[in-house]
Amino acid sequence: MEDYPEELRTPPVSLVSIVGCPEMHASISAALSSQQPPMNTLALPDFANANILSRTARNRDPLAPPQAVSGILRKDWLLKHRTRVPAVVAAMFRADQVSGDPAQWLQACSDLENLKSMIQGRHSKLVVILVQAQAGDELGEEVIVALRKRAEIDSKHLLVLVESDETERNKSLLKLRTIFVELCSAYYKEQGRRIKARIEKRNFSSVELSVRYCFKVAVYAEFRRDWPEAQKFYEEGVRVLREMIGTSTRLPPAQRLVEIKAVADQFHFKISTLLLHGGKVIEAITWFRKHIRSFERLVGSPEVAFLHWEWFSRQFLVFGELIETTSTTVPDTLSPRFGTADNALTEWEFQPAYYYQLAANYLREKRCALECPSSRANVTGDNEIPDSVMSSVYIGQYVRLFEQGDTISVLPLSDAEYTSYALSEAERFQDSYEIIALFRKAYESFLSLGATRMAFSCSAGMAIEYYAAGEFSNAKQLFDGVAGLYRQEGWTTLLWEILGYLRECSRKLNSLMNFISYSLEMAALPVFSGSVQGYSENKSKCGPSGWPTISRREEIQQEVVNILEGKHTPEVIDDEFNLELTEESTHIVIDQISPLRIVLVASVAFHDQSVKPGSPLSVSVSLLSHLPSPVMIDRLEVQFNQSDCNFVMVSAQEDSSMLNSHVDGQVVHSTSLTLFSNKWMRLRHEVKSGQSGKLECLSVKAVLNKRLVVSCQAESPASMEDSPLWKFEDQVETLPTKDTALAFSGQKLIQVEEPDAQVDLILDSNGPALVGEVFIVPVTILSKGHSVHSGELKINLVDAKGGGLLISPTEAEESESHHVELLGVSTVTGDEVSKEEVDNIKKIQYSFGVVSVPTLVTGDSWSCKLEIKWHGAKSVMLYVSLGYSLDSSEDASLHRLNVHRSLQVEGKIPMIVGHQFLKPFRREPLLLSRIRSSSGNDKKDSLAMNESNMLIVSARNCTEVPLRLHSIAIESDGDGKQLCSVEQISGISNEYAVVAPSTEYKSIFSVNPRASSPDFCLGELCLNWSRDVRLGENQDSHVIMKQRLPEVHIEEPPLVLSIECPPYAILGVPFTFYVKIHNSTPLLQEIKYSLVDSQNFVFSGAHNHAAFILPKTEHTVSHKLVPLGSGSQQLPKITVTSVRYSAALTPPTTATTVFVYPSEPKFNLEKSHSISDECVS
Amino acid sequence: MIVCVAVVGHQNNPLYLQSFTEADDALKLHHVVHCSLDVIDERVNNPKRSAPTLNETFLGLLYPTENYKVYGYLTNTKVKFLMVTTDLDVKDADARNFFRKFHAAYVDAVSNPFHVPGKKIASRSFGARVSTIVKSFGSGTVG
Repeated sequence: MEDYPEELRTPPVSLVSIVGCPEMHASISAALSSQQPPMNTLALPDFANANILSRTARNRDPLAPPQAVSGILRKDWLLKHRTRVPAVVAAMFRADQVSGDPAQWLQACSDLENLKSMIQGRHSKLVVILVQAQAGDELGEEVIVALRKRAEIDSKHLLVLVESDETERNKSLLKLRTIFVELCSAYYKEQGRRIKARIEKRNFSSVELSVRYCFKVAVYAEFRRDWPEAQKFYEEGVRVLREMIGTSTRLPPAQRLVEIKAVADQFHFKISTLLLHGGKVIEAITWFRKHIRSFERLVGSPEVAFLHWEWFSRQFLVFGELIETTSTTVPDTLSPRFGTADNALTEWEFQPAYYYQLAANYLREKRCALECPSSRANVTGDNEIPDSVMSSVYIGQYVRLFEQGDTISVLPLSDAEYTSYALSEAERFQDSYEIIALFRKAYESFLSLGATRMAFSCSAGMAIEYYAAGEFSNAKQLFDGVAGLYRQEGWTTLLWEILGYLRECSRKLNSLMNFISYSLEMAALPVFSGSVQGYSENKSKCGPSGWPTISRREEIQQEVVNILEGKHTPEVIDDEFNLELTEESTHIVIDQISPLRIVLVASVAFHDQSVKPGSPLSVSVSLLSHLPSPVMIDRLEVQFNQSDCNFVMVSAQEDSSMLNSHVDGQVVHSTSLTLFSNKWMRLRHEVKSGQSGKLECLSVKAVLNKRLVVSCQAESPASMEDSPLWKFEDQVETLPTKDTALAFSGQKLIQVEEPDAQVDLILDSNGPALVGEVFIVPVTILSKGHSVHSGELKINLVDAKGGGLLISPTEAEESESHHVELLGVSTVTGDEVSKEEVDNIKKIQYSFGVVSVPTLVTGDSWSCKLEIKWHGAKSVMLYVSLGYSLDSSEDASLHRLNVHRSLQVEGKIPMIVGHQFLKPFRREPLLLSRIRSSSGNDKKDSLAMNESNMLIVSARNCTEVPLRLHSIAIESDGDGKQLCSVEQISGISNEYAVVAPSTEYKSIFSVNPRASSPDFCLGELCLNWSRDVRLGENQDSHVIMKQRLPEVHIEEPPLVLSIECPPYAILGVPFTFYVKIHNSTPLLQEIKYSLVDSQNFVFSGAHNHAAFILPKTEHTVSHKLVPLGSGSQQLPKITVTSVRYSAALTPPTTATTVFVYPSEPKFNLEKSHSISDECVS
Repeated sequence: MIVCVAVVGHQNNPLYLQSFTEADDALKLHHVVHCSLDVIDERVNNPKRSAPTLNETFLGLLYPTENYKVYGYLTNTKVKFLMVTTDLDVKDADARNFFRKFHAAYVDAVSNPFHVPGKKIASRSFGARVSTIVKSFGSGTVG
C-alpha cells in the first residue's frame, strides 16, 4: 500500500491560495487547516510570485486540431490539484496600501489585474482581503467599492481582517473560512460539472479521455466530500477501461495492457478505500471479486506474464492491507449461512490472511513465469536492453530518453524493448523473501483463527520459497512441521510432495541419515488409488519427486539400496551429491510414534501369559514392511530386558563368521529373512525364561545391506495400532501371528513366576474377641521344605467391612479412636531364638506391625503371639504375610518369597450394664421436680435427700462364653463421697460369680444423698471381669469395664408419705393401716386425702378428709381394716393431696399389697429371720 | 466444469479423490480440498452459525481460491463431500443437486458388503458413476 503516492492514499483536501501580506499567512493557514474539513493553504508572500498559479505551461492554440491523446492519466494531475491549483485565490492588501498614496493604489490595482489574468484560465475564485491594523480604522466606502469593481467580485467576497485585536481577528478569520468553504465547494462543483457535461455529451475524441474525465469528476467529487458521486464515477471509469482493453490501439499490445492495468489499479484502490472507509465491507469484497474476475485472464503474452502476476498479486496484497487497516468485522446483518444463496461471501474473505495467501501464491506465479524458459527465449540475444528508459508522464507508460546534441527527446518504446527492460528490472528483486513474508503473515493470521490446515499450507509455501532460495535448513524445519499434519490426517499425496522436498533438503544438507529416513518413508507411503496415472513428471507441480506412483516408490527404495551398497547412480553424481558412507553403519530408531513405522514394524508376542522360572517359552517375532520391493534382512537381533534371553537370527546366505564375537545370546540360522511388501514375516523361537519377574522384549534390530541398522521398538500385538497412513487403505487385513487369539491379545512381556513357597503360616484364634481384653492370636511358622532367611512378618489390621483404616477420620487425632489396636507381638519364650534378634526390627503401629523372623532351617518352626485390643465392637481382617528369601546371599535377597494368610476376627462387647433407681419401701417422698417436669424431656432420675434410695445394677453377658464377674462397684468422684453415701447391700459373695452366656447378674446399692443438687454425679460403675477359663491357663487377665452413671437430681421432699401396715394379715382379723405424712417444711401444710373402697377389705374411717400439719411434725391417718379375701390383696387405695403444692401422692401398688392368710400361719422362727437376695428381687 | 471431487472421512482423511482436469494441477487440487476442511470445521463447529442450518447437509461455497471454487456437503454420518469447480457462476440448486446424486452414489458404494466402513473407496463402478455425474453437472440434464 505504501507504493501508492501519498495523494492517492489520503482523501483530497481543498486548496486555497493567499497572496501578499506574508505576516498574516501563518495565522490564516493554521486557522484553515485546523478546522473540519481542513483546507490546505498555498501562501505566496508577494504578488510577484503569483505567476506559478497561471497555466502558462500548456498554452494551447484553441484553433489547432486536437492532438492525439498519448495517455490515460497524467501522473502529476492529482498532485497538481492538491498542491498547485487553488480553488480560491485571496489577494491581501493592507488598508494603508489602498487608502492613502495614489501611487500605492495604482500598484495595488495592477497587482490585482495581474492576479486576475493569471487565474482566469483556471476558473479559480477570487477574494480580496483588506488587513486593518485596528478595528476602529474606518475605510472609505468609495475605496471598497473601487476595489470591488477592480476585482469584479461580490461585496461579500471582500473581507476586512483586523490584525491587532484577538477577538476581532478570530471573528474575521471565521468569516473568511466560511467564505472559503463556500467558494471551494462552488469551484469544485463547477469544475466537476464542466467535465461531467463533456462526458454526457460524449464530447471527447478518444476513449482515453473518457476515462480521464471520469477520474477527474470523481476527484472533484472527493474534494467536495461527495463520496457517492466519486464512487459512481470511479466505477464508470473502470467500466470504460475494461471496454478499452480490446479496442485501443494506441500503444503496442504489451504496453497497452500495462497502462490499462496501472490505471485500473488506481481506480480500484480508490473504490476499495472509499467503500471500506464508508463501512461497506460486503460491497467492497463483492467489488474486489468483480475486479479480480475481470482482470484475471488478462495475462498478455507469455514474455510479460510475470508483469501480470506481479500486478495481480499486488491487488490481493493491497486489498488485504486495506481490510487489515480498516479492521473490518463481519457485519451482523449478514446472513450466517456463508457460501449459499443467502450470502454469497465466505468467512475467509473477511480475513486479510486470505488475501495475503493469494497474493503470495500469485507472486510465486510471477517467479515461475520469470524462471520459465519460454519468457526468456525471445528476449535473449538480439534485443539489447535499451538505455535510459524511464516512466513517462502518463501512468503506466515507459519511454526512452533520446539525446541528440543538446536536445533531449522522448521516444516511445517497442514492445520488445519494453519487455527486456521490464525483465531486467524484475530480476533485480528477490521475490522469494517477499513471498515468504506474505506467507508468514497469512500463516500467523490463519493459526490465530484456528485454521491449522490453511496455516500449514502457508507454511509449506514458505518452505518451498526457502527451498527455492537455497536456505535448506529453514526449509527443512518448516517442511517437517507440515509433514506432521499430513501424516496425522493421512493425506499421502500431499505428504509425498513434502517428503520429496525434505529428501532434497537433506541431500543438500549432506545428512545421510535424514536422507535415508525420508526416502524410506516415501517408498513406504500408500499411493492414492484414485489419482490419475501418467502425469508428466513436471517437478514444479508435484514437488521434486514427481507424481507418486508405485514405480516411483520402487525407484526411491532402490536409490537407498544403491547408496548403502556404495553404488552411486549417475543422477546422484550430477547433483554433486557427496553423502559419504562412513565405515560405521547408520542407525535408524523406530519407536511407536515414529513415522517410519510404515517402513518396519516389529510385533513380539509370548505364547503364554506366565511361566515358571527356567522353563522354555515360545515367542513369536513378526515383522511388517510397506516398502514396495522385498527387503533382505542380513541379521535380526531380538533384545529382552533380561539379556540372557537375547537371540540373534542370521539369514542362511549370510556368512556367520561375520558376526562379531561380542553378540550375546543364542545365534539361530534361518533359511530366509526376506520381507515382502505388506506381508507379515512370522518367526517363532523358543527362549528359556530367566529369573522371576517381568520378561519384556525391548527391541528388534534388523541389519539391512550390512550397513543400515533399523532398531524397532517391540510392540505387543494386543496394543498395536495401524499406521494412520495405511489403515484407510482398502486391502486385506493380515495378522501378525497365525494364531488369531494371539494376534489380538498377545503381549510382548511375560511374568516369570516365583517358585512355590514351602513354608506354612498358621493363624489361630479362639472365637470372637471381647472389647477391652487383650486378645491373643498365636502365629506359627512351620518350614516344610525351604529354610527361612531374613524372614519378615508383616501384620496388618483392616476393617472387614472395607474402608481400610481403623480410624474414623474425624477422630484421627486421639489415640483412643482406634477401634482395634495392635498392642504388640510376644515371642514364645524358651526358644533358641535370642531376644535381641526379634526386637531388632520390631515396629508396631496401631494397625500395622513388622516383626523379623529368625533364620529357620527346614523342619523348624517358630511362633509368636499377636496381642490385639479392641476398643469397640468391630469386625477386623487380620492379614499376616511372611516374606523370606531362600538363602542369605545378596542375590537371593532380591527374590523373596511370600506367604499370605488372613483371618477375620469379630470384636464383641462382653457385658451390657443397666441400672435402675428405686424408692425406699413404703415411703413416698413428694418430689416436686418430677411433677413439674412432666413433659418428659428431662429424663433425669430424681432422688430424695436424706432417704435411702435403692440402685439396682444389672450386668448381662452377651457373649457366647461364660464370664467371671469379680466385682461390681461404684466409684464416686472426688467430693461425691461426702455428699452421698453409697453402700452395697448385696453383691458378689465369693471371689467371683460366673455369669453364663445371656444371663444377668444383679447387684443392689443403697444411695443416701445428703445434699440437694440439680445434677449430681454418682460416679462410675466398675465391673471387673475375666473369661471363665480352665485352670492352668493364663488367668490374670482381669478386665475392668467402666461405665458412667447418669446424673441424678437430688432434692429435699417437703412431704414424706410413709405407710405402715403389718407384714401380713389373717382373714377376718382386723388390723390397722397407718399413713404417716411428715411435714419437713417450716410452713403449715394443708393436705387432703381420700380412700377408695376395695372389695377385699372393709374399713372404718373417713373416705375423704382434710388436715393441717404443723411445721416439722407428722400427721397420722389410721384406718382399721378387715380382710375379706385371702391371698395377695391390694389395700384400699389412698391418695394424699397437698394443697400448697397441688400435688397428689399415691403409693405404688407394690407398696400397698399385703398377703392375707386364711388362718394364722405357723412360722419356723429361725428360718424366717434370714434375709436373702430373693426377697427383694 | 467440475475439476475435482473428494470424499473425506471422520478423521479428515481422504477416502476418495478424483480430479477431472487435463492440466497437471492435481496436486494443487489436493491442497485446495485439504484447506477447505478448515472451512467445514469452522462452519460445523461454530454453534452460533450452525443453529439455523442444523439439518442442512449442503454447506455451500466454502472457499474461493485462485481459479477454483470449493463447495461442501456433510452427511449425517459426518462424512464430507467436496467439489471443486472452475465455473464462475454456480447455482446453489445445481450444487445441491450434484451432491444429492453424489451422496446416493456414495451410499451405494459403501453398501457393498465387501467394503469395510472407513476405508478408502476403491470401487471402479463408483468411479464411473461419479464421472457420469460430474459430466452431467451444469449441462441442464441435472435434475
